[in-house]
Amino acid sequence: MSEQSISVPESLAQLAQEKGFPLDLVKRALALGFPPGAIASQIQAGVDPQAVAAFLDEQERIRAGGEIQIPDDVMALAQKRRWSEELIKRALRTGMTMERVKGLLEAGLRADQMLRMIIITERIREQGPPATLEWMEAKTEWGIRVKPGKKGLTLGSLNVGTYGDIPDYWPRQTEMPRGALPNPLSPSMGYSIYEKAELWADNAADLYEEAIQRQWKPATHIPWDSIPSLPEPQEQALAQLCTYMCQNAIVVSDTIGKWLKEMSYGYHEVKVFLATVAYDYARHFDVFRKRAYLNGVGMGRQSPGYYLRVIKDARRWTEASTMMFIFNASFLLHLCQVGYYASRSEGDALIFRLAMQDLARHTSYGAQHLRYFLSRKPEALLEIDGYLQKIEAFFAYEDDKDPTLQEALIVLLGGGVGEEELKRGWRLLKRFRARWISDYLWRLEAAGMPERRKGLFFYLRQWLPEPAPAP
Amino acid sequence: MAQETQVKAVFPSLEWFQALKEIVNADEHYRRIGTCDTTMGIKINDLQKYYVVTFEAFEVADMREASEDEVEQCDFWLEAPYSVWKDMLQNIKANGKADLQHSLNTLDLEFPEGFARSHDGLRRDAFYRFNQSLQYFFDASSRIDTQFL
Repeated sequence: MSEQSISVPESLAQLAQEKGFPLDLVKRALALGFPPGAIASQIQAGVDPQAVAAFLDEQERIRAGGEIQIPDDVMALAQKRRWSEELIKRALRTGMTMERVKGLLEAGLRADQMLRMIIITERIREQGPPATLEWMEAKTEWGIRVKPGKKGLTLGSLNVGTYGDIPDYWPRQTEMPRGALPNPLSPSMGYSIYEKAELWADNAADLYEEAIQRQWKPATHIPWDSIPSLPEPQEQALAQLCTYMCQNAIVVSDTIGKWLKEMSYGYHEVKVFLATVAYDYARHFDVFRKRAYLNGVGMGRQSPGYYLRVIKDARRWTEASTMMFIFNASFLLHLCQVGYYASRSEGDALIFRLAMQDLARHTSYGAQHLRYFLSRKPEALLEIDGYLQKIEAFFAYEDDKDPTLQEALIVLLGGGVGEEELKRGWRLLKRFRARWISDYLWRLEAAGMPERRKGLFFYLRQWLPEPAPAP
Repeated sequence: MAQETQVKAVFPSLEWFQALKEIVNADEHYRRIGTCDTTMGIKINDLQKYYVVTFEAFEVADMREASEDEVEQCDFWLEAPYSVWKDMLQNIKANGKADLQHSLNTLDLEFPEGFARSHDGLRRDAFYRFNQSLQYFFDASSRIDTQFL
């Protein structure tokens, strides 16, 4: 192609003029097949026109079949790296300088790697940049604009137009984000939950935002310096409670991790919310471990964990969610209430208050999901009832067989290990447990299971508040 | 939180709650706690005084006097005799914020029926979810020169 027939892109010509770079050198470079973008970069970088002219002279000579002389030091390096002489000549014909070739040899580039680099460069020279721009024609919904509201730009606010269509069944086995154009090359990611009823909760996107907005940091949020030690028995009892909170958090966090990979991306609101829940439990593990160590006690005794195993062994997400976020989170809220009530410092109270905030968010998802699930699958009511019966029974067995946690709570609430203190602690614990069972049943009622009150496992019935006498 | 007292108002009154709303909405620290979205009722039964507070995003969006029925339609309501409210607010005034015996959580745990009540087991959990914001809201009353009946 002659220099005269080359047309210089307007922006490139303007750049050359601004930088005082000769237009004929631009045309010669284009004629040799150098991409306009690469030429513009060189001009922007302030390349010396004389050096460019010398380089172009050499390139034109080589392309015209002129002999290529390879310096001895480069040849010696090439032999050491097992590069052929022809490979070097081919590199130079693509426009590479001898200094560049030598640099690549010194850097240890293998001959096969160099060949791939040459092939790519030749292809660009022949066909232009590999830009089909087909992806710009993706037939997704364009023109969607979302304005930030009082809470900023929230995840839920993006659900407008077709992006707000959340199907009852998600047909994609890949990690494709909802609303994107499917790629037929994408492999299956092995999800197993594709049905909205199996995981959805209408408040998931809002709960995600709430979790992000209200997150706290154990290391700096808690005034660790101003938490004095409780008297020895209570400090030890608190450490035992903290040990239990750590153990429980580990199981729940693990369980969420196990289920996240099963959930398809059609329902990303739930997935991202659950990611925050897993993080919440990591934080609970962190804060309660720190509190146990703070005043020199450390970890207490492990609990058997029978009922935690039931959570981990769940075979259906709604089963896991109901046990984790309604039964277990209600129980943890109860433990935090005891911890808060027994607190003698603002720091201790803050730990339990912040943990309760997180746990109440989890119950909110659990109850909303169960409500949604039962509205779509009312025939599954007895199945869910069975899961609750199972976890209540396992909890009862554990609570009855291993009194460690219960005794620690009694010492905390009673304020010591003397006879009167233990009596007071037991009296208070009964009151707190009554409240826990009431709240648990109340959440189930809100989720669509008011009948569970009648089926409550007999061991837990002892905590139910006495019904008001008939007038 | 101890700051110069700027407003004088009688508790309970709409003016008192409006003053509290303005203090909280001008407080950067309240925003930093995070979003709070809930409707909270206030019930002072022995005076038959009822208010509804609407929290939205980073602010107190609305504050109004209401009927008992309206209060019971909130996510939850705080219910106690006037003497308990007065004791709580006097404690907040004296300490700059509620001490552990007068915090919302403690009052809730002390009352057999709870201080925070609701007709819906799910909506009541908003009391726990936003507890730090709610406590901060009442603690801000230390900046009001509160007159009691």
